[in-house]
Amino acid sequence: MIKVGDQAPGFELDDHLGRKISLAQFKGKRHVMLLFYPLDFTPT
Amino acid sequence: MPGVERLQARFAAAHTQVLGVSVDSKFCHAGWGDALGGISFPLLADFQPKGATAKAYGLFLDGPGITDRATVIIDKDGVVRWVEAVGPGGEREIETLLSHCEAVDKEHGAGLSAWPKAKGWSGPATLYVKSNCGFSSWTLQARSNLHLESAITVKNVSEDAAAKRELEGKAGKGQAPCLVTGDDVLHESADIIAKMTAAMTDI
Repeated sequence: MIKVGDQAPGFELDDHLGRKISLAQFKGKRHVMLLFYPLDFTPT
Repeated sequence: MPGVERLQARFAAAHTQVLGVSVDSKFCHAGWGDALGGISFPLLADFQPKGATAKAYGLFLDGPGITDRATVIIDKDGVVRWVEAVGPGGEREIETLLSHCEAVDKEHGAGLSAWPKAKGWSGPATLYVKSNCGFSSWTLQARSNLHLESAITVKNVSEDAAAKRELEGKAGKGQAPCLVTGDDVLHESADIIAKMTAAMTDI
């Protein structure tokens, strides 16, 4: 698992509104909180 | 996710962009966001190759082929400042995560400016849809995820002959989905969703 102090791996992924979203687009502008979760439409 | 949606303004005040990530497709995400009452922050499809981003973060669970329930807070320079995995069946405490984001912002957020505000939806609009149509569903889910239910009226041309005639009058053809905003007529679902997204989000 990634650790505090590591450089976050980059990504570019489709979102549910049809956009391409990358980590790089927020660099120097915003912090990012990634919420990883198991699967859509499952009990939480 | 709905808890985070309700606290979007406070995450924004802490200069923090929230992104959901799972191995589902973007279409599945759209339906799931709709089912949760509307999710306007990005839900990312770590879909092809499956789980590649989760694997890069060491959060992919090979056995079930899903992602751990885990939170990673990354500062504006791309450095990881907080990580927590609670297991697939675990729960996240959103207020606690918000306080971690606020702490990261206090320590590493010097020089960040306030976010641009979304311009919001203007003018009455009608979304014409068809029954049993994936493109129509996709636009309806975007309307829900962006909380545009009261701004955009929906008419189903498969069930409502008057609506079909109305659409033909405004758009010159009965093809649905179609979003009509004043004189602006959009037929492509991607264009319809892009117009909604541009009005209602700041990215």
